[in-house]
Amino acid sequence: MNLICLGLNHQSAPVELRERFAVPDGLLGDEGAKLTELNDVAEGVVISTCNRMEIYVAVEDLELGSKVLRNYLEETRGLDHASAEHFYEKHSVEAAQHLCRVVSGLDSMVLGETEIFGQVKQAYKQALDKGATKGVLNRLFQKSFGVGKKVRTQTDIQRGQTSVGSVAVDLAEKIFGKLKDCSVMMIGAGEMGRTTSQSFMSRGAKELFVTNRSLDKAVDLAGSLGGTAVAFDEWEDVLAKVDVVVSSTGAQHPVLLAEHVQKVRRKRKYKPLFLIDIAVPRDIDPATGEIEEVYLYDMDQLQELAADARERRLEQVRICDEIIKEEVEKMLG
Amino acid sequence: MESVLITLASIVALIVTVMGARYVHVGERSQWTLPLMIVVFALQLSELGIRGEARAACPLMDIGEICIFAAWSLTMFYLMVGSVYRLSLLGVFTAPLVLVLMLAALVPGALDADPQPVSDHQGATAIHSALSVLSYGAFGLAAVSAVMFLVLDKQLKGGHPSTGLFRNLPPIHSLTQSVARLLFLGLILLSVGVIFGFTAAYEGGISNHLWLATAVWIGYLVLLSVWQFRGMPPRTFSITAVFLFVFSLVIFPLL
Repeated sequence: MNLICLGLNHQSAPVELRERFAVPDGLLGDEGAKLTELNDVAEGVVISTCNRMEIYVAVEDLELGSKVLRNYLEETRGLDHASAEHFYEKHSVEAAQHLCRVVSGLDSMVLGETEIFGQVKQAYKQALDKGATKGVLNRLFQKSFGVGKKVRTQTDIQRGQTSVGSVAVDLAEKIFGKLKDCSVMMIGAGEMGRTTSQSFMSRGAKELFVTNRSLDKAVDLAGSLGGTAVAFDEWEDVLAKVDVVVSSTGAQHPVLLAEHVQKVRRKRKYKPLFLIDIAVPRDIDPATGEIEEVYLYDMDQLQELAADARERRLEQVRICDEIIKEEVEKMLG
Repeated sequence: MESVLITLASIVALIVTVMGARYVHVGERSQWTLPLMIVVFALQLSELGIRGEARAACPLMDIGEICIFAAWSLTMFYLMVGSVYRLSLLGVFTAPLVLVLMLAALVPGALDADPQPVSDHQGATAIHSALSVLSYGAFGLAAVSAVMFLVLDKQLKGGHPSTGLFRNLPPIHSLTQSVARLLFLGLILLSVGVIFGFTAAYEGGISNHLWLATAVWIGYLVLLSVWQFRGMPPRTFSITAVFLFVFSLVIFPLL
């Protein structure tokens, strides 16, 4: 029995094409079962996420199997010559190694991300439930999950955060520990600020205050993030009770000055204050960072930390590939 | 036999220090720190047992005994409260201090080679000495936590927090809480120790040591009161905790 992987991903195909070949979440098992009805295809699993659509099949004959699969996509999804160029096809060992790379997050847009592990597991489970998998794919997918776990535990592929928002939240946890007692204030309604504040809320921050020159915008944003809107002329009072400030206004001059913090230090009982300035030009006066209990990070610093983490993850890819190669060789005996 | 025990304890503390530092450098936590610190504790306890038997009292009669007792107390508090935060890393920071105290006990003349039983044994004095030295274990561990805070604070302030040490240090909040709790524990022990000191002094006169212990007690009381009621920047709090510990550690032997 031979193995074929036919698919496209964020590197090989634009989003319009990925959308065309995407399979809805609940239909992955059915799609796998349909594949097994094709001539020469014994087993089939379909993986479909926002960044990829991949078909894994066990076939008797590689050439025939490949042809059958492409015909199937032509009939069901309108695969033509132009779109076929965006597809990649891998056979046997290469296909097995590719699946392990996907499960380990090595083929993801954000290197080392973990979400893909669950997505592949879900796709496999659906195929299994529909009876679309047997000996070959069961063994391959089980092995790939084991390899994925090994790669994550034995290498640093997951170490550090690769997005500005996650870096900021990690730093906050290094200051405050768990964020369940943390209050966050967002100054301005910039997209980056919104994403960062959302990261804080999703990691369990206690409350969020949103302030903006336009109160309507603040109210809208606070509503969408589950926070409380504050009038722009009142944010200085809120400063006394928050632990984190995320600032992303479009102002040309600093909005938050050292004197604002100095004024509320006593009231805050000198508790640590984490200031995140993700505006350009900067919103927070750099002198604020000189106050003892204040930790100030601007966009450049956060981006640098995210880039460092990405670089470290890239360095780990070679080690991960060695583990995958070794494990696949072991599996194929 | 005694010097063998002290030397062994020092060697194990040195191993914890070196091994811990290497693990920290690569961003990992050593699983050996805790078991090795238990070995250090057992060795210290054996040595104190021998001295206690010889003295027929709490072994706090010479500089060497005080050093060993303080090192034992420090190790004990580490083993007791270390589980609140990252055990092995606190041990890595504690081990060097334990090592210094153990080495101080090895300095010729520090330990009385022929310890005699205490003839004018006074219960209040013994309790005063034991609790005072025990409180230094808590103050010492508070100082260790404070140093950990200062290291983390410097990395966070510097804007380049990505070293192995940074990854392994507990959050700022946990460290300052630990410092405060350990200081509070030390203050309670020292308070009782000072009270017993004055009880004993009622009969035998007030020594310079007791006045100094009282001054140290006031220092810690003021620090904790300001921290608790008025609030103070965590860095100032930590620096003061380290300063008070180093000050008391240095000044007592000089008197």
